[in-house]
Amino acid sequence: MHEILEVIKSGDIKCISKEVNTLDGKRSVPYFLLQERVADTKEAITNAIKEVAFELVKNLTTEQKLNTVLLLGTAILDKNVINSVEDTTNEYDNNPEQFCKTSLDSYAQDTAKELGLNPFTMTIATACTSSINATLEARNLVNSGVCQRAVVVGAEFSLGMMSDGFVSMNLLSMSSQKPFDKSRDGLILGEAIAGVLLGAEESQWSLLGGYSNCNSQTITAVSDSGDEFFEVMSKAMELSSVNAGDITTLKAHATSSLSNDLAEMNAISKIFDKNLDFTAIKPYVGHTLGACGILEMAMMMACVDEGFVPKTLNSQESISEEFIPLQEHKKCNEGVFMLNYFGFGGNNTSAIIQKELT
Amino acid sequence: MKLYVKAISSYQGNLEDVDIKKELKQTYKRDTRRQDKFMHLALWGALRLKERCEINSDDEIYITSGVGNMEIMQKCNEYVNVQKDILRPFDFINMLGNTTSYHIAKTIGTKGKNIFEVSNSFSFINSLISAYASISISKKEAVLGCVDLATQPQSLIKRVLGLDKEVTVLSGVNYQKLSLTMDEAIASIEFDTKTYTFDELQGIVENSNVKVIYAPKDNYFETMASYYVNRAIEAKEELIYVDSFEDNYKILRVEILD
Repeated sequence: MHEILEVIKSGDIKCISKEVNTLDGKRSVPYFLLQERVADTKEAITNAIKEVAFELVKNLTTEQKLNTVLLLGTAILDKNVINSVEDTTNEYDNNPEQFCKTSLDSYAQDTAKELGLNPFTMTIATACTSSINATLEARNLVNSGVCQRAVVVGAEFSLGMMSDGFVSMNLLSMSSQKPFDKSRDGLILGEAIAGVLLGAEESQWSLLGGYSNCNSQTITAVSDSGDEFFEVMSKAMELSSVNAGDITTLKAHATSSLSNDLAEMNAISKIFDKNLDFTAIKPYVGHTLGACGILEMAMMMACVDEGFVPKTLNSQESISEEFIPLQEHKKCNEGVFMLNYFGFGGNNTSAIIQKELT
Repeated sequence: MKLYVKAISSYQGNLEDVDIKKELKQTYKRDTRRQDKFMHLALWGALRLKERCEINSDDEIYITSGVGNMEIMQKCNEYVNVQKDILRPFDFINMLGNTTSYHIAKTIGTKGKNIFEVSNSFSFINSLISAYASISISKKEAVLGCVDLATQPQSLIKRVLGLDKEVTVLSGVNYQKLSLTMDEAIASIEFDTKTYTFDELQGIVENSNVKVIYAPKDNYFETMASYYVNRAIEAKEELIYVDSFEDNYKILRVEILD
């Protein structure tokens, strides 16, 4: 997180490129890839998840760990299944792993077992809302008394079929993400892994609440009016017992796609007045799909802990005359923050977090 | 933890010979284009549930599966890795787990929470826990659907499920409409997060006068627990169902309500 904070402060973005399949053959597109490759094997993915989870639970006692569940949020296409499909296609009948139960949740189960956590694990796969939905599910498990604590990890690694899919839908920018900007032309994909530990103990940071629903007009888009986003944002505030005027800063989902940004801006304008401070994280790290829920929440928290909210990089001419994304880093040490996440498959989620210094 | 069951719909592939796509088109007048067999199975089960109970627009939807939509993974692998072709947009969208739950929501008319979730073991019980935790706070009702499609070749799905070559993998789709309250309930399901050893399990089973069923290992799909719960409710038989993974056991108790 320290390195990410330095990047945000300096604006020195490190985006590299990756080859994807297009109708015209292979093409290089910008991509935020992790420095160390982790997507190639199940073991490497599991180890990366273990590393993040370990950092979160290393100070817990053995008994506390047994009362801690692990939830994973990812849109990742199941590497285990992909391996099996490829192996069967290639007739690798002697694969020693062929009779070992695997699923998208194997990563979480293996991690929980090794770290001595409660055997209950679950993986939420709701596209770009996966890890924020996993966070809200974890909150329910803690608040209903099912467990004392929950580790939530959001993970997304570059897999060929995932990036090819975004190419096929013409959603990728070939330059940079420009949230809410008139010249926006799409998103840049990114890899990420991030985690959060939820519990009932007092902390400066709290998850006040949130709301998740599935009411999009089509499987890939909401209406331009943003009514679906308006509903989920309003309900999140209601369930968190806050009003629009209480929101210190909004972290927008802001994919920089033409329709999504328009709908989100329309929803924002229906709820807030023009004095709202809002920003977007994706220009710094790319769209990390299922991981963006926790990654962007963690980045907002880290920035506020450092005393600021990040400016909206690359956004120079807003699509709204009244609502302008933050153009400079804003001093901020505490407050109430709305976090928006909207995804394919109709899933839309808004969460509210708060930092109190006293 | 206890949830009350208001309605069920149940299907196990070897017990009914149904052309599900045809049923969706002819009986339910559904547009099945741009959907695949996994989705058809999920939608058909959901529509059968809807015939038996009222679905509220804010009912929470939980969909789980042993391996998810493997057929679409096979199809896309064939395009991309074998034929070296590009991925088609709708195939890409159909690869996402929550695409199925989106179609379910549209089909039965819900607009609220909608989660596609997978647990590597005890999928059904863990989804019950997840639904319980959520509706105990939201005070809403839940629809829990377990969807497993037997795909070909069976050697592939057996590999992913960790099954012996002799096992026959079946398709299954089983739903429950769940509530925290007893009103209009036909049964209750009790469950918890506790995992038992075999010895602990024997102590529970020996002291019970209720029928006990262990997860079968011959004709199989990952969410069979959901099917056996539904079968007990249909037969109005109380049941203890024992699910297992490696050397760990979990139990479900079904009580019939008049």
